[in-house]
Amino acid sequence: MYQWTRREDERLLTGKGRYVADIEVPDRLDAVFVRSKVGHGALRAVDCRAAREVLGVVGAWSAADLMDMPPCAHSAATLQDLPPVPHTVLAKLSSDEAVVGREWPALVKERVRYAGEAVAVVLGEDRYRAEDGAAEVTFQVDPLPAMVTPSAAAADSTLLFEGLSNIALRGEAGKPIEDKVWQDAAAVVEARYRQNLLMPTPMECRTILAVPEGDRLTVWSGHQMPHRLRRELAALLGWSQEQVRVVVPDTGGAFGSKSASFPEFVMVAFLAVKLRRPVRWIEDRLESMLVATRGRGQDQHARLAADADGRLLAYELHIDADVGAYPHLGVGLPMQTAWMATGAYCTPQVHATVRSILTNTMLTYPYRGAGRPEAVIALERSMDTMARRLGIDPAELRRRNFIPPESFPYTTPTGRTYDSGEYARALDLALETVEYDMWRAEQARRRTDPTAKPLGIGLSCYVERSGGEPGGLHEFGSIEVGTDGTITARCGAASSGQSHETVFPPLVAKTLGVDEQRVRLIEGDTDEQPQGLGSFASRTAQVTGAMLQHASQLVIEEAKQRAANLWDLPLEQVEWSDGTVHAAQDGSAAMDISELVKATGPLRVEDRFETGMEFPFGTHVAVAEVDPELGTVQLLKVVTVDDCGVVLNPDIVHAQAFGSALQGIGQALYEAIPYGDNGVPILANGLLDYLLPTYTELPPIEAKDTCTPSPSSPLGAKGAGESGCIGLPAAVVNAVVDALQPADCDLLQMPLTPDVVWRAARAPKLEEAR
Amino acid sequence: MKITLTVNGEEFPLDVEPRRILADVLREDCGLTGTHLGCEHGVCGACTVLVDGEAVRACLMLAVQCDGGSVRTVEGLTGSDGEPSALQRAFSTEHALQCGFCTPGFLMVAAGALEADSTLADHPERVDHIVGSNICRCTGYEPIRRAIMRAAQEQQQATT
Amino acid sequence: MKPAAFDYVVPRTVPEAVDALGNGGRKAQVLAGGQSLLLEMHLERIRPDLVVDINRIPELDDMQITDNALRVGALIRHHVFESEQAVPGPLGSLFSLAVVNIAHPPIRSRGTMVGSFGWGHPASEWCAIAMALDADIRLQGPEGARTVAARDYFHGPLKTARRPGELITSVRYPLLAERTGVGFIEHRRTHFCFAQVAVAAVLIVHDGVISEARIGLVNCADRPLRAHAAEQALTGVGIGPPTDGYRLPEDHPFTRAGRIAAEQDAAPLAEPYADLEYRRHAIAVVAARTLCQAANDHRSRVGRTKGDSQ
Repeated sequence: MYQWTRREDERLLTGKGRYVADIEVPDRLDAVFVRSKVGHGALRAVDCRAAREVLGVVGAWSAADLMDMPPCAHSAATLQDLPPVPHTVLAKLSSDEAVVGREWPALVKERVRYAGEAVAVVLGEDRYRAEDGAAEVTFQVDPLPAMVTPSAAAADSTLLFEGLSNIALRGEAGKPIEDKVWQDAAAVVEARYRQNLLMPTPMECRTILAVPEGDRLTVWSGHQMPHRLRRELAALLGWSQEQVRVVVPDTGGAFGSKSASFPEFVMVAFLAVKLRRPVRWIEDRLESMLVATRGRGQDQHARLAADADGRLLAYELHIDADVGAYPHLGVGLPMQTAWMATGAYCTPQVHATVRSILTNTMLTYPYRGAGRPEAVIALERSMDTMARRLGIDPAELRRRNFIPPESFPYTTPTGRTYDSGEYARALDLALETVEYDMWRAEQARRRTDPTAKPLGIGLSCYVERSGGEPGGLHEFGSIEVGTDGTITARCGAASSGQSHETVFPPLVAKTLGVDEQRVRLIEGDTDEQPQGLGSFASRTAQVTGAMLQHASQLVIEEAKQRAANLWDLPLEQVEWSDGTVHAAQDGSAAMDISELVKATGPLRVEDRFETGMEFPFGTHVAVAEVDPELGTVQLLKVVTVDDCGVVLNPDIVHAQAFGSALQGIGQALYEAIPYGDNGVPILANGLLDYLLPTYTELPPIEAKDTCTPSPSSPLGAKGAGESGCIGLPAAVVNAVVDALQPADCDLLQMPLTPDVVWRAARAPKLEEAR
Repeated sequence: MKITLTVNGEEFPLDVEPRRILADVLREDCGLTGTHLGCEHGVCGACTVLVDGEAVRACLMLAVQCDGGSVRTVEGLTGSDGEPSALQRAFSTEHALQCGFCTPGFLMVAAGALEADSTLADHPERVDHIVGSNICRCTGYEPIRRAIMRAAQEQQQATT
Repeated sequence: MKPAAFDYVVPRTVPEAVDALGNGGRKAQVLAGGQSLLLEMHLERIRPDLVVDINRIPELDDMQITDNALRVGALIRHHVFESEQAVPGPLGSLFSLAVVNIAHPPIRSRGTMVGSFGWGHPASEWCAIAMALDADIRLQGPEGARTVAARDYFHGPLKTARRPGELITSVRYPLLAERTGVGFIEHRRTHFCFAQVAVAAVLIVHDGVISEARIGLVNCADRPLRAHAAEQALTGVGIGPPTDGYRLPEDHPFTRAGRIAAEQDAAPLAEPYADLEYRRHAIAVVAARTLCQAANDHRSRVGRTKGDSQ
């Protein structure tokens, strides 16, 4: 038998992986949604009659039609109207107050608020036939002014919800800074930053298959939070949670975008129950590009003050966040940016304010980095501008202001308590790895050579947060020992490519002192593991890992207790080593755990374990060469140094760092969603129009790490996997700024497309402006 | 329309609508779900299979176009003895996959090139073109490049 | 999205294909490589009633050189031209420079050169080269065969002189003389998107002086273009010595020709990330650089032939 590197590899490399679209269920129907081609308007006259006549179409409904649907004999017979999309206040990502009066319907009833919002659903024997039906549905939308930027919507000249402001939430972190601080500072830099709207774009779009069986519903979904999905679907059906089983099979990437319930999920569950027939929705890319949740989307205004020696005095960040058409998912997410505004520096005063503004874009929601990249980009771009203003090397400016290692735990002015950090060590390693002095010399040489393309070096020192927010820093799980010697670990996490099956069994095995081949992991199934939180916020190694280690220790305690009872010995005379119990005095009584289970009955321990909030950090460096005539940017070298504490599996963490780095480059240089005045994204050619980085765009990336263990978790492990999206965009933009030295840095807004860079290259230079 | 496809050496007599794309027929009519659909725009390449030895997008071909032809999918990469191919082993060794969704497409575009070109290991730029054919959102591509190069080198050593 | 239903026929001869296309005035589409057609059907921008699959017509799978011209049949795939030797002389070099910009290997192994003319996309590399070289397009219809010069063929965005019942059987390009310098440069945002601008340049040079220039512009208007004004500005001009660095001097003839191409020949349309000002500028830069590349190519050809004769 060939030994695969990861346990997931055999099935995924031989075509035996099982994603939701691969699951064959008899009589299953495909759902297709009829979508608005207008971004904002009043819906009229949805007519599904012709669709129902199409061969292979089983049904077609508008929101109004569903009211007239006959009740069925099923236990959901009481379900009259289509319930709205559940909202979540988890981790303060939304608030009840923001949501009241702003219901997100599963199908539009009166008002279309984003392009692609579903106005009808068609069920067919397969996707082809369902689409045939969808093509026959007719409807009208009387357009209203579409607002696709926070500034357009903030004025409230057109309201998305009658009688309610488009500003759905206001918040702040830290205290307001007095004018005197700015007036007295030796240097103040001020800038505006646009955080471009992004598409998370996992290669597998969203999926759900709902299979009714008796009075239960089994839901298969590529998802990050199966227990949340179970809870929300049960609530909308008016069922108990035990009646819903959510199973997460292989999932083709998520990057934050697969942790909620969506309008289409509500429809699929509702129709499966109403019709007593399996129904699925396999989102296609065209739909995903219109209606999958977006990431980022902030307009920021930042102000940074320092004294003449480059010591930071104050930092102020205002955020106008584009949270999309409904406040259900990410309305509070910009608070993450506010809380993380302080960054890696001991700036005495920091104040961040947020306005979450509803617009006619699809909803904004966590995407890999989720609030932290926005904080890092604003601060780290401002740091480079300050370094230029003061004539201090940008590395040196950062070094002078780092929170020193002896100051941890460190409570920031924006209310975070950082667990541990050695920020200068990561910076030093990054500068050494990239050969900083060599590039500075090359930069100087090129500045005197008119035939050479300008070159810039950009730094970004980031601090992120992993684990989740208070109230969501725990995970549930269990460990079961079989009489055949196998050990089964269960947890509430769900992998979408993070190799949980490879990483966690060795951790359990190491704690128990057994061969890792004896241990297997089961996750992503709410019938197997009754409670759980899931995989988000870089939490799984940190929280689930700690939970599984904790559960393993409980197994040892339980085994020792059983052996003490069996052998009639005091507990302190029973010892555990290498998967066996034995009497401290007499080695001959050693018994393997499986033998003990045979003798004493089934052994399964279950528990919940909580860690603290943790703060990974690092330094990223990018070296960019710019063609000022065409505006193209070529990255000559990228170095990432990440510190996520104790690493459970270096290869897996390295692979995550590398992959996330390319996603970070995507935000900096390529990815964005252009909108027309009508509120419709300009993406006519499908995935040809949303530019994901390809191999051709991949620069030489060197990913390294330092290790500063976290005191907040027994493993010492902090979260990993989002670093490249968080740290790298600022480094890339700073490198381009450094190459071109424009007097007005606001010209360089992401993505740094050729036209943007060309304009900045033609603009007055810093020295000309002085 | 009645057609016959030979998929991974097995004959499939099929009755398909002309509009059905090859990927759907492989997945649904032949039950070979290893071929994934990532965009249906010919862009991502997750659905790449070999048709008469050549790597093609199975979302940009109709199944009826392949009538009488031979198709290879990821399910056909493993040897008849059940042992993984050098390419599959190299992908595992190099961590050339994370979520695995795009993986079958990369494997097949690489398999086509390895079979057509025994000197691939000597031409890194050709490997670059292969890796540059598809989209992966997880790995950052470099591990995929290393895996294909490793398999090419192993193939070359085996034949010399 | 999935393609809507259609009828499908597989003719074995060109007359059969033409018969099928003309049958009953239905919305028919020719399927050759299908790499654009299938995408358009997925996007539901094209919903044919009938698809005529010409892949089993052997006579179309043919490439020939006659009378100092290359005739490319309708089933010749893009990837054939990846080898510089596939076509003799500088034309082969020009094709091999251009073809690598067309998507990537799995698309190039299906898609056809002639299919690009059926489609007539303004960003088509082949169509712009055809404009530059005065290629002609051979069409077979119910009324018989006809030949349309490239300059008369492209009528607008995705609009061509091809009539609904007609099949493009081949495209014919004149071969290029031995010392002709060729260049092709494409500017785009990533490897996977259409060109923002691309330029094909052909320079016939005698004793360092340009006797004829041909310039094709990709995605510089609503259709493939030839830059006549820029070409005229180059006739009789010396190519000068090779230049250092990426930036040509402002007064260099290629810089001037690039500006003329951008300002007089091109009629660019605004796109996201490329407004008219940027597009015109980029056309000028890419055209100048491509002319440089063609001049360098000429120099190396001269060097090689001198080497051969020694």
